[in-house]
Amino acid sequence: MPIYDQGYRRYVARSPLQRARFWPITREPLRMLLLKRLFLALLLSSLAPLVVSALWIYIVTRYPESGRLLPIDGQLFGEMLKYQMLFGILLSVFGASGSIANDLRSGAMLVYLSRPLTKRDYLLGKLGVPLLLNLAVMLVPGLLLYLAGLGLAPEQYLRWHLAWIAPSIVAYSVAAGLAISLLTLAVSSLSRSARVAGIGLVAALVGLEMTRLILQYGFDRKEAVVVSLWADLKALGVALFAVPDPQIEISWVWPLLVLALVSVGCLLVLRARVRAVEIVT
Amino acid sequence: MADDAPLVEIRDLAVSYGPVQALSGVSGVFHQGPTGLLGPNGAGKTTLLKTLLGFLSPERGSMVAFGFDPTRQPLEVRRRLGYMPEQDCHIPGMTASAFVAFAGELSGLPRDEAISRAHEVLYYVGLGEARYRNVETYSTGMKQRVKLAQALVHDPDLLLLDEPTNGLDPQGREEMLALVHDIATRRGMSLILCSHLLKDVERVCTDVIVLNQGQVARAGPIRELTGARRQVFDVRFKGDSAAVLTDLKDKGAEWREDEDGVRLFLPEGQGPETIFQVAKECGVQVRYLKPGAETLEDVFLQALGH
Repeated sequence: MPIYDQGYRRYVARSPLQRARFWPITREPLRMLLLKRLFLALLLSSLAPLVVSALWIYIVTRYPESGRLLPIDGQLFGEMLKYQMLFGILLSVFGASGSIANDLRSGAMLVYLSRPLTKRDYLLGKLGVPLLLNLAVMLVPGLLLYLAGLGLAPEQYLRWHLAWIAPSIVAYSVAAGLAISLLTLAVSSLSRSARVAGIGLVAALVGLEMTRLILQYGFDRKEAVVVSLWADLKALGVALFAVPDPQIEISWVWPLLVLALVSVGCLLVLRARVRAVEIVT
Repeated sequence: MADDAPLVEIRDLAVSYGPVQALSGVSGVFHQGPTGLLGPNGAGKTTLLKTLLGFLSPERGSMVAFGFDPTRQPLEVRRRLGYMPEQDCHIPGMTASAFVAFAGELSGLPRDEAISRAHEVLYYVGLGEARYRNVETYSTGMKQRVKLAQALVHDPDLLLLDEPTNGLDPQGREEMLALVHDIATRRGMSLILCSHLLKDVERVCTDVIVLNQGQVARAGPIRELTGARRQVFDVRFKGDSAAVLTDLKDKGAEWREDEDGVRLFLPEGQGPETIFQVAKECGVQVRYLKPGAETLEDVFLQALGH
């Protein structure tokens, strides 16, 4: 049958512009990621710190003296979220480092931007992927652990002086998730290859941490913490969960400021890199 | 919007990329129906489309599409447009059906409707059997079709086709043109066909705007532009043809050399007798003379100053 004999139905019902126009841009990559076994395995393995921590709460409730090793107060949550953050970075590299790089390579940017979407919609949609992944491995396990704590040791967690744990979990997860997500997207927008972007992101995080270690231990500069994004996030955790950490000896204000500056820098990079027309002058 | 109201009106539009002036003083109207946007490479065709999509801001002049300004209300304009870009575009890892449905959703279709229309449109463009294949595994022709499908899925009021036959073999080109022709005629969708291939535009469009060096060189219905305004003859001379052509030029004639001889354009009121008379005066033989009709190619080349 010739092509022109095949049907085509006109569609006259044009609906008004939706508010959450960014949502399909977030949902579709997540759906595709969830079809990948390796990703699922990584996502499931990210529950390991939660399981171990919940088990630890149970052990401490049965054998209170073991709490001297690691008390089941804010410290436990801080330690767990430190590991969860590592999974957040891994999932961001796996699931979102190619987010913008692939669009630049395959010309998909035009598919998005020629639609009734603003650049902000596009960026919000893209940001949603690593942010939801990070929240899935930090906020969700953090709150689950808190609920487990309430269930296993209510006399401990219902005390007023531990009421700050739940808000701290939310604040830390959102701050770390946002910083990691923005950095992932910014690095992704600087390349046309998902692999290069992923390697770039890991290299940036590891490289800055190495620099921090050299400055801190080679030159005895305690303020070197601000150099590394990883250390900045840890410092934020130290402040929020009162985790004693001999490596972090500076006020939480500086790491927070650095995180804010990095986020603004990432937004500026994204603003410059995400465009429908490449202008070469 | 009234049936005869223009879809897009452009007034004295100027767009530049830094120091490079891409469009300068462009004015014109895109009516309902298929319109060709012709011009050599670098004429400003794609720039005009990208300004219409709201990607570029004009430094002077105005553009109104469907009653909206694309610079200020780009979303209102874009939801009524379907854009098939010149370059490759797909989302890595997606099948054609998922990609087209996703494009529909991005255009504001509800998810169920987007999925249903994606399948219909993929059948329409001839990819029904291959719709569950990853787009990255498609041939060039199939990629062109999937690009057309993603532009069609939300049933736009105006379809922008940027070089739709690029990279296609003759059969693929023929099929793509048949499809575009069908969209314009039987489905009644307005479209702008941006191309440097005259035959593509001639085959599909009723109106044309010829751009050259960022300016409108000619515009109007193809039938009028190629109508009997000038007498056209394909002629072969034996002898000093340059002398004949110089004398004919003095009488208002224009000419263009091609592979077989000379294509002569005589002003209204002059006929073959003028050619014979001038040839006789110059002592040159007319060995071949065939009346012809002015084609879009003639209009195009004249507009370009050839």
